[in-house]
Amino acid sequence: MVNPVFLIIVPLGFAFSIPLFSLISRKIVKFIPPLSMLFNFIVSIGLMPVVLNKPVVISLGGFPPPFCISLFVGPVGILFSALIALVGFLVSIYGINYIKDGDRYHILYLLLLTGATGVVLTGDIFNLFVFYEILCISSYALVSYLGEKPAVESSVKYLIQGSIGSSFVLIGIALLYGKFGTLNMADIAKNINSVSQMYLFLPLILFITGFGIEAAIFPLNAWLPDAHSSAPSTISAILSGIAIKIGLYGIARIIFTIFGISSILYFLLLLGLLTLLIGELSAFSQKNIKRMLAYSSIGQMGLILFAISLATLHSIEGGLFQIITHAFSKSLLFLAAGCMIYKTGTMEISSFEGIGREMPLTSLGFTIGAFSLIGLPPFMGFGSKFLIISSILEKGGALFVLFAGIVLLGTVIEGAYFFKIIQVLYFKKRKSEESVKLQKVPVSALIPMFILVILIITIGIYPGIVSGILKGASSELLNKVQYINNALGR
Amino acid sequence: MDFLFNNIYYIGSFGLIFIGLFILMTKHNLIKMIIGLNIMDTGINLLFITIGYVRKATAPIFSKPDLNPQNMVDPVVQALILTAIVIGLAVLAMGLSLSIRIYQFYGTLDIRKIKEQKW
Repeated sequence: MVNPVFLIIVPLGFAFSIPLFSLISRKIVKFIPPLSMLFNFIVSIGLMPVVLNKPVVISLGGFPPPFCISLFVGPVGILFSALIALVGFLVSIYGINYIKDGDRYHILYLLLLTGATGVVLTGDIFNLFVFYEILCISSYALVSYLGEKPAVESSVKYLIQGSIGSSFVLIGIALLYGKFGTLNMADIAKNINSVSQMYLFLPLILFITGFGIEAAIFPLNAWLPDAHSSAPSTISAILSGIAIKIGLYGIARIIFTIFGISSILYFLLLLGLLTLLIGELSAFSQKNIKRMLAYSSIGQMGLILFAISLATLHSIEGGLFQIITHAFSKSLLFLAAGCMIYKTGTMEISSFEGIGREMPLTSLGFTIGAFSLIGLPPFMGFGSKFLIISSILEKGGALFVLFAGIVLLGTVIEGAYFFKIIQVLYFKKRKSEESVKLQKVPVSALIPMFILVILIITIGIYPGIVSGILKGASSELLNKVQYINNALGR
Repeated sequence: MDFLFNNIYYIGSFGLIFIGLFILMTKHNLIKMIIGLNIMDTGINLLFITIGYVRKATAPIFSKPDLNPQNMVDPVVQALILTAIVIGLAVLAMGLSLSIRIYQFYGTLDIRKIKEQKW
């Protein structure tokens, strides 16, 4: 068993040693992010059986748990860290030839992934904030990486909204520390019932608002379409696939583990449905392909929030499964869209007419990603959406049937706009008079898309591959007492 | 009056946080908004320090033999604030460098006039 600390140390160390490597040779720099992400993925997969048996708790500094900075590597943490490493690995392979210049890109990219991994593995609430800020600051920088007009503007918007969010999280942490005198999440969770509910209300709202900005929950999602559509395609894939999930992880951890409050869940349920409908409806009317995908991410976030706040074993399982589906499918979609944009030089959907004949593999990848996100049977999205719908119906009652109907309505809208693009790709004739910039898409861009397609189909046919870790993760989120006992070493 | 005396630091820190939020909500100049963010950050830092503060206490260094734990302030919050200040600085630097870019592109810092991206 490798110590889980290396999951954080290795990418962080590599990130800051990239300038040194670039002194030796400028060629090897771009192979460092795939290398360290591959390491992370292998370590996470290797840790999975150990963690499913019993969560691993690492106390840094040698003090016993409540006093030290601890890492809590439970099923949720290892699920997320494997997902981050896998998506990070594939997208960084894509980036080898996509990103032409600069060590800065690779440093920031690795820092973003380090921050995401740190957030999901830490057991200390202040460390969670620090890693969260590493993630946020590097994504502000990466959004504006190309330095174009729209990118800089959306980066500033993202920066201001994101820093208000993380300030709220910090105020929440201050209030909790003032009340409990500890930063260990399990220790706070143990004592949370000893103070009145009135006092907990303010920190809870601050946390939900703060993480909600990163997770793009409905009234707080103004930054997302701009930032995701004007970033480089690799970064859009990472932001949509991973960064916004971290906000949801924060919300889930705060509500289920630390506060253990169930009365706010109905509020989040409604917010999730609103986010779903608004995201999908806005996506429907977009003309810019990346903007459409960004709005579709908002809709998916709403669905996942809805599933998680139903708070039954099956629904959380479905929500986490949907997180995996969305991470794979949306990064595949963004990568494929990146290839098309690279080829045609524009983001307008209408200019992709007939591109299915010129770029058969890329279009096939896009189609499979879209089908998986809609939830068509042989692909991965079917399993996750099926789990979510069946868990809603398990709850019973007219209200939940209505909710299931709204979720299905969202899916129908989603299907409508994705089929619109697929129709443009395959069934429209290309206007011949337009001169197309014929740029060859490099092979290194096709490999990660191919692997993602294989993953989507394989997990779609055998959902059993992930069901073990999903069950463990959802029971970790719901079983607060077990978490406390494991984290404090009893 | 007694309430004010006991809670003056809390009132001050929340005052700073709300001033920062107010600036962020009402001002349209990018530099002013970044200043607002920083005022808010300062307020949060002060809030942390206030939580660990004990009246007439000293730093937790065992320099004098008769120093007992009741007369020490909480050192944890100070370590936390050191980190939070660095993070705030990074956000500040990022924000200011982006505003320079915005000014080069648009010739203005008024956020209402920068409307390339629309909903």
